[in-house]
Amino acid sequence: MNEPIGRFDTARTLNRGFNVAPALAKGIGLTFLLALIGSLARVVVPVLMQQTIDNGLQPGNIRVDFILQMCAFAAASVVVAAFALRKAVLRLGVGAEEGLYSMRVKLFDHIHRLSLADHNDERRGALVSRVTSDIETLTMFFSWGALVWLLDGSLMFVVACVMLAYDWILALVAFVVSAPLFLVLRNLQKRLVAAYGLAREHNAELLGSVSELISGTETLKAYQAHRPMVVRSKKAVRKRADSQIRAGVIGAFLFPSGEVFAVFTIVAIIVVGVFRGVDSGLTAGSMVGFVFLTYRFLEPIAEFTEVVDQTQTAVAGLRRVLSVLDTPTGPTAPTKPISLPATPLSIDVSDVSFSYSSRIDNHDDDLPVLRHISFTIPAQQHVALVGSSGSGKTTLAKLIARFADPTLGAISLGGVNLKRIDNDELRRRLVVVPQEPFLFADSVANNLYFASPGCSRDDLIRVIEQLELTDWVDSLPKGLDTFVGQRGSAISAGERQLVALARAALTNPDVLILDEATSAVDAIAEVRLAKALSAISEGRTTISIAHRLSTAARADRVIVLEGGLVTEDGSHEELLSNNREYAKIYSQWLSATSVTEKI
Amino acid sequence: MSFVDEEIVTRDSTKADAKGRLGEAAQLIREVVRFHPRLFLIAVLGAALFAVCTVASSIGLKWMIDRVILVRFESGKIDLGALVAGSVIVIGIGLLRALGVVIRRSFAGRTEWRTCETITEKVIDHIVGQPIKWHRQKMTGDIVARCGVDADASVAILAPLPFSTSVVVMMVVSASWMLYVDIPLGLLAVIVFPILLALNIGYQRRIDRFYNVAQKELGTLSEAVHESFDGVMVVKSFGAEVRETERLAKISLRLKDARISAIGVRSVFEAMLDVVPTLINILLIVLGAYRVKAGEMSVGDLSSFIYLFTLLIFPLRIIGYLFSEIPHSVAGWRRICEVLDEQILDDPNLKIHRASDGIAIEIRELCFSHQDGTQVLNDLSMKIESGKIVALVGATGSGKSTLLHLISGLIEPSSGSVAVQEGGVALVFQEAFLFAESLRYNITLDSDISTERVMKAITTAQCQDFVSDLEQGLETVMGERGVSLSGGQRQRVALARAIAHDRPVLLLDDTTSALDPKTESNVIGGLRGISTGHTLLIVASRPSTIALADEVLFMADGRIVDRGTHESLLKTSEHYRLLISAFEHDRKEL
Repeated sequence: MNEPIGRFDTARTLNRGFNVAPALAKGIGLTFLLALIGSLARVVVPVLMQQTIDNGLQPGNIRVDFILQMCAFAAASVVVAAFALRKAVLRLGVGAEEGLYSMRVKLFDHIHRLSLADHNDERRGALVSRVTSDIETLTMFFSWGALVWLLDGSLMFVVACVMLAYDWILALVAFVVSAPLFLVLRNLQKRLVAAYGLAREHNAELLGSVSELISGTETLKAYQAHRPMVVRSKKAVRKRADSQIRAGVIGAFLFPSGEVFAVFTIVAIIVVGVFRGVDSGLTAGSMVGFVFLTYRFLEPIAEFTEVVDQTQTAVAGLRRVLSVLDTPTGPTAPTKPISLPATPLSIDVSDVSFSYSSRIDNHDDDLPVLRHISFTIPAQQHVALVGSSGSGKTTLAKLIARFADPTLGAISLGGVNLKRIDNDELRRRLVVVPQEPFLFADSVANNLYFASPGCSRDDLIRVIEQLELTDWVDSLPKGLDTFVGQRGSAISAGERQLVALARAALTNPDVLILDEATSAVDAIAEVRLAKALSAISEGRTTISIAHRLSTAARADRVIVLEGGLVTEDGSHEELLSNNREYAKIYSQWLSATSVTEKI
Repeated sequence: MSFVDEEIVTRDSTKADAKGRLGEAAQLIREVVRFHPRLFLIAVLGAALFAVCTVASSIGLKWMIDRVILVRFESGKIDLGALVAGSVIVIGIGLLRALGVVIRRSFAGRTEWRTCETITEKVIDHIVGQPIKWHRQKMTGDIVARCGVDADASVAILAPLPFSTSVVVMMVVSASWMLYVDIPLGLLAVIVFPILLALNIGYQRRIDRFYNVAQKELGTLSEAVHESFDGVMVVKSFGAEVRETERLAKISLRLKDARISAIGVRSVFEAMLDVVPTLINILLIVLGAYRVKAGEMSVGDLSSFIYLFTLLIFPLRIIGYLFSEIPHSVAGWRRICEVLDEQILDDPNLKIHRASDGIAIEIRELCFSHQDGTQVLNDLSMKIESGKIVALVGATGSGKSTLLHLISGLIEPSSGSVAVQEGGVALVFQEAFLFAESLRYNITLDSDISTERVMKAITTAQCQDFVSDLEQGLETVMGERGVSLSGGQRQRVALARAIAHDRPVLLLDDTTSALDPKTESNVIGGLRGISTGHTLLIVASRPSTIALADEVLFMADGRIVDRGTHESLLKTSEHYRLLISAFEHDRKEL
């Protein structure tokens, strides 16, 4: 990756954005031209006034037919300008929507392809807001801010040109007198942006405080301790109101500053014009026309000041979106994939090290999670990975499933390096059942179909039978068509595991990686789960991340990880007789779960 | 988040509905203005100043044109006195006009945010007053939304309101002035008001439909994105990345289409807003030329007339934004009222009786059913003596947590009574909740507890091993922006909280299951040590935990079915033995 996007200035960020979503900038030249034509409508009246006063309403010589001609011409050009304006607005809006749509789809694709290392819980919320709220700030910008820049920008340009064409000296007077306005604006603008930034911060604080007050209600009520928390929240409410009001006051001074300068400019033009007089080629009409033009010239300023804050928010949003797109995606697809042998698959882990580098947030804390791990699992062996939390066992499983690539070393499956295996084939041959299996808000059956969309209902029933889950399915209110609720909340944790197991079995993989749940399920569910587990691991190369040591005891082999290193490796009995850490935690577990022994 | 209010807005804007909505908007305005009427009045006065000065500025300009410009260019004279006077008038009026804007905007903002503050405080008070039963029926996000986006939305109408008032004032004053200057020209100019208003309203109606569709699609998209990213492990496990991207792309496509339709409508409107006033302006010049020819008005009159008309267009153009805020504000206010109009339910804690001496907990004929009618506790009675350690054992769903919540007065029984020892209970929940505050706050919850007692609680709850590692000690901030603790550590902090509060009865809802057996026995041993008067009721599933208790209560079918020591229950109760030996079963299957 080159320079991080976070350091890009506005122009470069926009440029990158246009590269990512070309529709945003496509034909922008023509759109701008149309906007220029569209803004002609607004200079028609000043020009018409000048013509009318100078050539139509001369004292004692009022030429109504001339005025009518001029007006007819003006009306025609206004109508033409209106069509151009409509086209410009349409082109800008449609271009923006097309561009943002393609940017969204790119983000979906990219995020789905990110390594699981970039998909942990802390970052998930951030990723969701990239495709929702951040892109929304861009939508808001294009529906207002961009329109203001485009239309008012062309208006100012056209007005300035007309002023110069009329009388360059008066035009210069107008520009010089109104020039300090831009300094005032810049100054106030900076304060305004800072004030809005503070208000947003205080708003986040307010929401955080209230949401804490509410999610902690049970705790607070249990101790009758909500008063202090309420006082805190109300303080946050007040602070937010104060900062919003402050920002509002700055805005209140900013908004009419254009008009104040317009008044001074108009007076300056009149004074200069009056002293120069007729001999300089000026006319009464062009003086009046100038007064109108000055107002037109400074009118958009007020709106500009309103959209600067929005523009900065949008650029920041774009920057965040781009930085996600700059995050390298997870394991890259092989250019020349090697197909796996049709026979059962062994697993080779050779000298594997891994560290999570927080690539999205640009933190520099590289924590080595695994250090020089090597072992071989023969085909069809059942291995239990044991270790305390943070020992690296889950990470190791993720690497074997190629959700991320090792920082050092290599892993192969059936003798083929994971990096050379086609992703579709890998997913057919190797399946992971995570600790907290995720279910979609759909029926049990559809959650199963997700694994292999092609399979039939009979396939489902066959797998359910294999795993001895028929009686469980029958006990559900609508059998396979029972709705599981948001994230599976309508069924119990144990039942979610069962669905996940059946889902895995449906693809008939050669390698199975099971991350056991830590949460306790009751006795009956426990027995059912254990049966399904042994049925599914039958004849498959299986890695269980064991939290219940009974699973470890049942496995062919136990590998103990501690601090990213393999500390013990052997059969359950061997490790017990070694009398090291494993033997110790096993005896602890034994005494905690035995009915009769007292500690 | 706030998808619910979108639902409300989505309703088709038929005529009858629009009328109802207008009525509702009027009511909303009356109600929100009532909170800070003085601030609002000042804002309106500022707006009125602006309106009057706008009209006055055109008169100033007329003076300049007639007395200075035309005089200079027609007769060649420079009237210095008139030039100075005219300049002062134009600048003076301009400054006053700007002052009007400053007053209006700053006080409109003040009204808006002070009102928001008042409303939010009311909502917070109301929510906190409601018992747990009420909270459990709501989603956290939804309640937060009522204090946040809904309150913001309901006051959003206040910001443009003074401005709209000034537009009305301006319309009246300028219409009168224009008619005074010249009746035919004035009549033509006044036509623009209803035309722009009709354009605005018609536009809002038409575009609302598309915006509502878009808003709905956005909600769907946001939900789907959440789901898809949460389930990324599954998606990847089955190589379904492309399928998921396509699913999300399809929703995004619908969103895009709805928005492009809206842009189609909007582009026509933007062009109309530009072309209609300009065409009327041109007509004014034509008619004005005739009037000047007829000697009914001067060139200065005509110029100032056109100038005033130009000044009027801008406010009239943006008054449409007021209308666009209305449905949003009404929806927000409706959701605020839903909360405020609800009666505050009784605090069940007030119905907890005081137990007689020597008794920690006494329960008589307690029944509890959920809202949907499923019975959880069924005629449960029991008594626990002070100073005992009692384990509460039962299968999942047997009502153990519910019983603890009833004893601590968080929820109200359907019938029956609960009495506890004087001094009350401290409950440690199954899931420890830590506030994103300091460790000290998390333990004291801001009540007056000495540091010494906090430290003692930390020791008893076996927290000292990780607390001593904290650089800022008790002042270390927990949670998202601070130190993140493991599940077992969080549980121990929650336990320290309960211990520090020093209530005679401690209720532990499966609290110690996340601890290893050694730590667990230290914790319970420590609790036994701190004071002999303490009573412990522990929901337990591990045999090692149960073994630490003096007595076991065995729950099934919403009542206590058996009671005794662990050993005696093993002998007498078949169900108990089955439940408790699940782990051993597991091991025997080896």
